[in-house]
Amino acid sequence: MTIKSTLSPDAKPQLDETDKRILQILQESFPLVENPWKELSCKIGLPENELVSRIEHLCSAGVIQKIAPTVDSSKVGYTCATLVALRVPEEKVDKVAAVINQYRNISHNYEREHDYNVWFTLVTQSQEELTRILNEIIQKTGLRQSDVLNLPTAQRFKINVNFQLTTVLGEKSHGQN
Amino acid sequence: MDKIDESLLSELKQGIPLTPQPFNSIASKIGLTPDEALARLVKLKETGVIRRFGACIKPNDVGLNANAVIAWNVPADRVNEVGHYLGSFREITHCYERQTIPERWPYNLYMVMHAQEREAIEQITKLLSETIGVDDYVILYSKRDLKKVAIKENQP
Repeated sequence: MTIKSTLSPDAKPQLDETDKRILQILQESFPLVENPWKELSCKIGLPENELVSRIEHLCSAGVIQKIAPTVDSSKVGYTCATLVALRVPEEKVDKVAAVINQYRNISHNYEREHDYNVWFTLVTQSQEELTRILNEIIQKTGLRQSDVLNLPTAQRFKINVNFQLTTVLGEKSHGQN
Repeated sequence: MDKIDESLLSELKQGIPLTPQPFNSIASKIGLTPDEALARLVKLKETGVIRRFGACIKPNDVGLNANAVIAWNVPADRVNEVGHYLGSFREITHCYERQTIPERWPYNLYMVMHAQEREAIEQITKLLSETIGVDDYVILYSKRDLKKVAIKENQP
């Protein structure tokens, strides 16, 4: 079976409609059965060997980083969560990022276009741990309290990182809480 | 959630192998039969410990080149209504209420949006703003994923 060779690790991958359909379904729910490829092949309507080669391509091109479970940190003891924004001079952003990245409790860390330009999320098992890590980061980076916004989570309305590959705004989804 | 579940999740952290029976090798590594491992995974998913089991993709590679956090200043008595409404759109992957900082930071509702380009994020946000009747918001476009910045040798 030949696969349209549209994906290469160097260039930005070109995805055809079949690739998009595969990605859409693979993102949402992977079958937890002994031979998941067979079940997916029926669901997507592609022969199993073609499906697997396409998935292999998507992996080697880096579009799929991995097929894995995402664990809800709040259900495994990480009950405290916050979003932190820092106001960092442009030339110090990398240095500050390296300090933040040392902690395994960091899930996201982005440079953003704003006066507060470094934004990261922090999850911990207790309030004390959260305060300690935040203070350590402030101390190690030499920032002032006035350059820090600590924005603890009060309520979660939705988290559902399934990227929509085909539709436009207006289609409602079922938010997962 | 017991020690075996923990090992199972830890084995799966790097993802399943692309082999014909991907769960078999993972199960045998921690001394389970494939059926036992799968039954545990199904249970972890049902109880919500596993929020999602599936492909992790890079939004950039699928044409979603722009992403932003949009922070809204929503009247306290409308946070629930607006939070659920914003969360109902597919383009919104996260929606959270957060504590504010009096006199420094008034924004209490946060959402993450991915789109093909910035113009789309701007337009959609404007549209949502009109719909929910909230015009105090800030769009925080992401410039760079800083998690990719190398970590120094010694861990804390």
